[in-house]
Amino acid sequence: MERFSIVRLATLKETSARVAEGAGERVIRAGGIDLLDRMKEGLEAPTELVELQSIGGEEGTALRGASEKDGGWRLGALVTLGQIAAMTDLPKAYRALQVAAGEAATPGIRNAATLGGNLLQRPRCWYFRHQDMVCLKKGGDMCYAQTGDHRYHAILGAGPSWIVHPSSTASPLLALDASVEIWDGKASTRTVPIADLFALPTVDPEREHTLSPGEILLSVQLPAPVADQRSAYATAKEKQSQDWPLAEASVRLSMRGGKMSQVRVALGHVAPIPWRAKEAEAILEGKTPSADLFVEAAKAATSPAKPLAGNAYKVPLTHGLLRQALHEATGLAEA
Amino acid sequence: MATNKTPIKVGFAGALTTVKTELPEGEPVPWDADSKLVHVGKKVPRIDGHLKVSGKAKYTYDIHLPGMLWAAVLRCPHPAAKVVSVDVGPALKEPGVKAAIALAKAGDTLKFAGQDVAAVAAERPDQAHAALAAIAVKYKKLGYSVDVVSAAHPKAPVVHEGAVGERRTEGHVGEGGGGTLQGNVRPLPPSVRGDVDKAMAKAKPELTHAAVYTVPVQTHSALETHGLLVRWDGADRMTVWASTQSIFSVRDEMAATFGLDKDKVRVVTEFLGGGFGAKFGASAPGSGLGYIAGELAKQAKAPVKLMCTRADEHVCTGNRPDAIQQVKLAAKGKALLAIDVTSHGTAGVGTGAGVGRNAFGIYTKCPNVRVTSYDVFTNGGPGTAMRAPGHPQGAFAIELALDELAAKMGVDPLELRIDHDEHPLRVKQFERGGETFGWARKRAESAKMRAGNARIRHGYGVAASLWGDFGRASAAVATVSVKPNATIEVKNGVQDIGTGIVTVLAQVAAEVFRRPLSTVTVKYGDSEFGPSVGSGGSQTTSSVTPAIRNAAEQAKTQLTARAAELLGVGSAEEVTWDDEGTAHGGGKSMTFAQVCKKIEGEAIVATASRARTYGTAPMAFPGAPLPQIAGVQFAEVTVDTWTGVVRVPHVLALHDCGRIMNELTVRSQINGGVILGTSYALMEQRVMDNDFGRMLNPNLDCYKILGAEDTPAIDIELFDVYTGANSTGAAGIGEPATIPTAAAIACAVFDAIGAPVRSLPLTPNRVLAALGAYEAKEPPLPDHLRA
Ligand SMILES: Cc1cc2nc3c(=O)[nH]c(=O)nc-3n(C[C@H](O)[C@H](O)[C@H](O)COP(=O)(O)OP(=O)(O)OC[C@H]3O[C@@H](n4cnc5c(N)ncnc54)[C@H](O)[C@@H]3O)c2cc1C
Ligand code: SF4
Repeated sequence: MERFSIVRLATLKETSARVAEGAGERVIRAGGIDLLDRMKEGLEAPTELVELQSIGGEEGTALRGASEKDGGWRLGALVTLGQIAAMTDLPKAYRALQVAAGEAATPGIRNAATLGGNLLQRPRCWYFRHQDMVCLKKGGDMCYAQTGDHRYHAILGAGPSWIVHPSSTASPLLALDASVEIWDGKASTRTVPIADLFALPTVDPEREHTLSPGEILLSVQLPAPVADQRSAYATAKEKQSQDWPLAEASVRLSMRGGKMSQVRVALGHVAPIPWRAKEAEAILEGKTPSADLFVEAAKAATSPAKPLAGNAYKVPLTHGLLRQALHEATGLAEA
Repeated sequence: MATNKTPIKVGFAGALTTVKTELPEGEPVPWDADSKLVHVGKKVPRIDGHLKVSGKAKYTYDIHLPGMLWAAVLRCPHPAAKVVSVDVGPALKEPGVKAAIALAKAGDTLKFAGQDVAAVAAERPDQAHAALAAIAVKYKKLGYSVDVVSAAHPKAPVVHEGAVGERRTEGHVGEGGGGTLQGNVRPLPPSVRGDVDKAMAKAKPELTHAAVYTVPVQTHSALETHGLLVRWDGADRMTVWASTQSIFSVRDEMAATFGLDKDKVRVVTEFLGGGFGAKFGASAPGSGLGYIAGELAKQAKAPVKLMCTRADEHVCTGNRPDAIQQVKLAAKGKALLAIDVTSHGTAGVGTGAGVGRNAFGIYTKCPNVRVTSYDVFTNGGPGTAMRAPGHPQGAFAIELALDELAAKMGVDPLELRIDHDEHPLRVKQFERGGETFGWARKRAESAKMRAGNARIRHGYGVAASLWGDFGRASAAVATVSVKPNATIEVKNGVQDIGTGIVTVLAQVAAEVFRRPLSTVTVKYGDSEFGPSVGSGGSQTTSSVTPAIRNAAEQAKTQLTARAAELLGVGSAEEVTWDDEGTAHGGGKSMTFAQVCKKIEGEAIVATASRARTYGTAPMAFPGAPLPQIAGVQFAEVTVDTWTGVVRVPHVLALHDCGRIMNELTVRSQINGGVILGTSYALMEQRVMDNDFGRMLNPNLDCYKILGAEDTPAIDIELFDVYTGANSTGAAGIGEPATIPTAAAIACAVFDAIGAPVRSLPLTPNRVLAALGAYEAKEPPLPDHLRA
């Protein structure tokens, strides 16, 4: 890792200007978990880390706080995964997010990792993370994973890069219909559906999100739960301590009169972006929960999947996780 | 003092016998089943425990000397390349750089990604690493193979031209020496009993089993990486702080490398952050660390510290070779008729990819056995000894194959094992473990879950261990002093790799004098403290404790002679010591302190070593006159059939290791062995990319090692064995404790889902394939690897 300095500024405006002026050399640091990993791995050598934590006043409070408004919730970008997992006043309807935040990484990392940083972290692809391997995502001319070892890579929506999006909070937030609030670095903020924060590699294989340098993610906004909303999140890992998910399934639905409606299914770690499975939603919408129906929906969710030679296992794995999430959300016993 | 043919009570509870043993000259009567010991065998906490948990313990990594420089090594990025040119000149102009050396020269062939190319020393570690980029190297890339299947192909690029030098360490015991190299394939000496081919030909096809089992390369991944700090103390003398499990190999290597007298090289290892077999020299198996640090220090005229990066640690400091094992078994009725194992594995550019003695040495009632291992050279970092070299690999294949055969035979796997094992204690461990574990009841439950198609299935498996007491004669020389202030000092240059050997040495001295442990100090971890053994082959306790006891007994003899004088009795024979350490004779008594006060001069000092091994109870190791160490482990798994995730909630480990010297440290070793084995079973694997010929996971993120949440509840049952083999009766446990774990877990997964997962690690992709959840496209075993 090379030497760098830490810059602490008091306002969003100064912070954003500082980064925008020195794009590439200067970067925002939130919790720093991913950023410092990248620096230690020799992928990047920024000269300045511009601290988001130093922003004060109302701006700072908004970045660090969580609050309710009209039944919905606003989670500041600096709220940590640990804080999200431990919140007692969040509606049960958002359970998918709380479980996901609480199962990501390790207790120590969750205490430092911020929600904003979690959504904007770079992929874990082992070619990307290898200093000497300059793949498409690093400006090279090919994806090494496609022909190489891609056991952890995408089965859906992939190409020309086969990464999976690394964030564990992204798929539950997509299922929960969240939006993100973005400061443009000058005067205005815009709020966009979370799906619009992420971009497929077909748009730009070198980037995973749509923020420009100097733009700052301010908060994540959860809409007021729909009537009788339930949500669930399921994940599977090779290692139970400190590992990344192999796949994840998040579900949101409304259970009224024994029937499911407003069904949202989002999958994680199977595509370069958090993946909305509309095929599954269509099968479930308006139906009475049953184990067979869940199997059918799970199969539909992966029907567009195009696994590579070494990651086909993610298809049945995703089926299992989605079935689990559906059973949990609806309360239908598994056996 | 011992006489010719001394009676010694040996064996284990329920099977004790008295044997008449001819003891070596000067050997005290060994502690046997009748010895009543007060310190040895007790649960004594580590005497250095508080230093470790408080952070006061200084590891090599923590040593900083004034004016010290930091080294960094430039490593070859290609799996095979010819060096066209190397120029370290530009690096010398980089900020902070004080020395730079080339480690490869034009014309050299580099054989794996990670091999040494050049090195620098600079004032700060970041400067050293940054300066590597300035070194100008031109390579001509060559053809390579990084996996066994392609390297073994007759047309594969050849890794080693001509004969291959054996690199063996104290961690490798027994086995070794290879046959003629053909391409990249070289046979190791086979182990043969009976006539396997004839037996196979006669067997009924429905009572045979043939399948292929694979295990990955595992890296040692010690928490403290390899490294050392070298300080020249003048032109012909140096002090070396090294993260090593063999202080004296470091000394010898540095002396040989720099043409110094051995006694002018001092090596210090006070604390060591793990070794597991890979830290036997000043250098790592795949990197000349000793030369690099010493030469840079010489050129820069300053102490130089060189610690491997985590990535280096994975690629050039050793590993446990992988194996592709073809196992063929045959039975007749309820009897095993034949075991035939053919294994191809790679230790990269190194040697020693055999699969150990499990298949040959445990189920010895099977009349026909043949185990043939082949080293397949690949363009990967060299393998080296790793905690029970070969054995976990071999155990996995034979034990899972036996369970598959047992299913065809309609025999309970535990019974099959009991029926074919001749080691009396291991049989007892199987039986006892079966009861404690609730084997019969649990296996019935798992069968029911299987039949009921439950999502979460439980499964139960059992596997066995086999190791030897490889304690070495004469290698360790211990000094024991008794001082006028009634304290006892034990001195030996052994390193404590983490086993707690230092505590055990103190216990042995305390035992001989019957003095409180607090009056004993141990000086260790320094070559100045007298020759000792490397911590490998599970031989440290067995090699060093007898030397300590023998020296202590001699010091006590001298002290007794002094007591006789003081008590005014004619001979030492008339003096007796009681359990409080008080001397009695001629109707008078003197406390230990009173006798010590009258010691003439500085201290009573005695020096002694360990005698040759002179017993083999309860059963000899296959093919060698030394005691065999047994051990059995039972594992419980859960398998989530929806996700393929395997978890291991419980392991029951039943072990023996001669006399239990300290129950706490023995348990700690077994815990570590089970954890390592579970990690091997569930997640560890080096992943090589074929297109780059490089490791994809040289970190601790994607190279996964068992974490707290993955660790099973470990129950341990210990069996004291009186081997009659040395003066303390100690044997070893570090290695036997890890041999059967992965095998037992794999057998349990087979029990849980009714389908074998024949490759480690048992990751969800493999489990889901075994469950038939998707069609896995595993290529068949190519012809060139078939037996
Ligand atoms: C062992 C391990 C296991 C892990 N397991 C998981 C897991 O299971 N699931 C999971 O989701 N994650 C996992 N992680 C990743 C971890 O959760 C992320 O690295 C972390 O959430 C990043 O948050 P941060 O605040 O530290 O971000 P930083 O590292 O500070 O920032 C990440 C990136 O986002 C930018 N950035 C940060 N905040 C903002 C903002 N508000 N506006 C604009 N740009 C911003 C930074 O410039 C940087 O490029 C794991 C990490 C480790 C080390
Ligand atoms: S998946 Fe993306 S990051 Fe990985 S090698 Fe391919 S292009 Fe690079």
